Amino acid sequence: MAAIMLVVALLTVAGLSIAARSAVAGAERELHAEFRAALDALNTAREVRALHLAQRCRLLVENSRIHAALEDDALDLLYISARDELSDLMAATSAAGRGSPVRARFYRFLDARGSVILPPNDYDAGAVSRDQSSRLGLSHLPVEAQIGFIPQLREGADGGEIDEVVTTPIVSTESNRAIAALVVGLATEISTASPGRNGIRRGLWVEGHLDLAGVSAVTRSELAQAMTALFPVSAAPSTATTIEAGGRRFLLLGQPLNRGSLYPAAFEVFLYPLDASAAEQSRVRWEILGGGALFLLVGMVASHLIAVRLSRPVERLAIDSEANATERSRAEAALELTQAELERSARFSANASHQLKTPVAVLRAGLDELLARDDLPPAIREELVGLVGETTRFTGMIEELLLLSRMDAGRVRIEFLPVDLVHLVESCLDDFSVLPDPFELDIITRLPQSLEVAGEKRYLSHVLQNLVENARNYNRARGRIEIALRTEGAMAILSIGNTGRSIPRSHQAHLFDRFHRGAAAENLPGHGLGLNLARELVRLHRGELRLATSVEDWTEFQVSFPLAIENSSL
Amino acid sequence: MRFNRSVFFAALLGAAGLRGEAAAVIEGRVTLPPAPLPALVPQRYEVVTTNGVAATNPPQAVVYLEGEFAAAANPPTVQLAQKGLAFVPALLAIQTGTRVEFTNEDDTFHNVFSFSPTKRFDLGRYRPMDRPVPSQVFDTAGLVTLRCEIHKHMRGLILVLNTPHFVMTDAAGNYRLEGLPPGRYLLKAWLDSKTTYWKSVEVVPGTTLHVDFP
Repeated sequence: MAAIMLVVALLTVAGLSIAARSAVAGAERELHAEFRAALDALNTAREVRALHLAQRCRLLVENSRIHAALEDDALDLLYISARDELSDLMAATSAAGRGSPVRARFYRFLDARGSVILPPNDYDAGAVSRDQSSRLGLSHLPVEAQIGFIPQLREGADGGEIDEVVTTPIVSTESNRAIAALVVGLATEISTASPGRNGIRRGLWVEGHLDLAGVSAVTRSELAQAMTALFPVSAAPSTATTIEAGGRRFLLLGQPLNRGSLYPAAFEVFLYPLDASAAEQSRVRWEILGGGALFLLVGMVASHLIAVRLSRPVERLAIDSEANATERSRAEAALELTQAELERSARFSANASHQLKTPVAVLRAGLDELLARDDLPPAIREELVGLVGETTRFTGMIEELLLLSRMDAGRVRIEFLPVDLVHLVESCLDDFSVLPDPFELDIITRLPQSLEVAGEKRYLSHVLQNLVENARNYNRARGRIEIALRTEGAMAILSIGNTGRSIPRSHQAHLFDRFHRGAAAENLPGHGLGLNLARELVRLHRGELRLATSVEDWTEFQVSFPLAIENSSL
Repeated sequence: MRFNRSVFFAALLGAAGLRGEAAAVIEGRVTLPPAPLPALVPQRYEVVTTNGVAATNPPQAVVYLEGEFAAAANPPTVQLAQKGLAFVPALLAIQTGTRVEFTNEDDTFHNVFSFSPTKRFDLGRYRPMDRPVPSQVFDTAGLVTLRCEIHKHMRGLILVLNTPHFVMTDAAGNYRLEGLPPGRYLLKAWLDSKTTYWKSVEVVPGTTLHVDFP
């Protein structure tokens, strides 16, 4: 019996020690997985921030006044011109710019040789030590934006903080060459003061400088020494490596922050103090062994059951909280991304307006001048008139696209005012009556005396114009257009019908899609945006636009608009 | 059309400098650099800067007589339009003291400004209908680069001269300066922001001098 007990006890001890060892290995695996998850979430957030900043800087370096100061021999006006443009970025630390994801600490310009142009004062451009200023310069101007990490070295201090800089080349619109660069410096958001869960600390490693909050200056300098000894200046381990500093052991992982930059290579480092975890591991091991001995005495089966019952909810709790935290950081990153995307698209549409319209205007002016010549052969003149028509169509399309993109970004607001729809229909038909009418169309209207709906006149008239234009363009010779307006409850119902080929059933479903054009449309002006835009505009007016019917020789669209309040309240 | 107008303009200004003295004339031809691009459409003059040298495209020169001339008694006011997202004329020569009105003939905002050491100003954003039309008096001789803060591609040049006797060449480089007072002068031909030719001339009343550049 005693022999059996001894064997059982030995087997149990052996089993328990194996279990303890695998628990330790599991903890280490978990640690590595946690490293990865934390890294992924941080990387997404960082990408969003970098994207936002790069976009800001790209706009800044296109500024006319900054270009004028550099190109027109007016360097004394350079920083003054930049001040207004950068004030919001700089003021982000104060109340005015709160909420901006990017906060600049300083900005500087580099001249054509890549050296820093000194600002007239540090007050507007932000303070930079002489040493840091000299590190902002580059050997030559870059073609693309460069990211750098520059230590703010102070006299006698070993560590100090590290600023992140984005250096964007300023390309002359005249020579198409980089003539200067804008350096925007920000306090890095990497070395956050508090250590993460499990005591993971994030820091920055650049040129033998370590920026790591939450550890004592002594530990930091010892760590920096140890890292300098272990790695070349421009490298950091990409796999977790154990490092010893000041008698303590750490797990170290680095990832490059500015690969390929003209600035010195910088790394984000993750440090995990192993002594805490070693203590934890040995405690776990002793607990398991001690507990095992105890359970052996009380009864193996019971102890086993109790252990299972105790550990399961705890495990689940641990897994749950882990999942929650990862989910949250992922959601935060996604939210930031969406916000930046929205801002970007809004800015894009504002920019696109000029970028797209200007060349068309220039093209148009050129064509007009050409047309003004007296010596043109008629065939060429006809061709030119056709081209002028194309520019008009192009301008219309750009405007519709811009309006759509503004609506997509939620930036179009309707100012609801009473609009007389009857008057609008009549003036729209008036406009059309002056156009050539090759089909000899018969226009029949059934309109009340007046009918006021709530909406914005220019948008409503855009919708009307589009529908009447379609009714006219997709008609047949000696056909007719019928326009009727009536009320139905609190809505005004406008129907516009026309003779001509019907819309095939297969096309009806996609009629309101962007860039959809009917089968009969090959030779007709238009670009497939009209109906989509019209419907979006009607919906903004809390109305609806639909195809009421399209049978042999009769197609009818129906639009509903809410009546103006004055009318419905009567 | 635009070109014709600017020539007319310059001729008008030249005529304003006409005095009572026996009229002398200098005429000739400035050899202009070849136009960088063949004209696809009737080209309007625009200012192009290459490697820091600003000139009009197609090339055009300003010929002027440099000497001791009294300041204009009644400085004229001339107009420089912003039309079709360009400065028209692209290059304007004026005598010191001249007021230039920067009319906006587009249906959009413009914001003319200059950082040139000769004359720094910023007219802010304004619309076509805004009155009075923003203007500037140019007191110092030199070259002024005009820009629009909104439309980054827009460039214009104003050549401010200490003389009432100046004229723009035609597209072929021909010029004719009339009503010149007698005396010894420097006759200069401004070609671009870095190139000005000059020759000393003696103007004798009642004669026509022929001077070609370079």
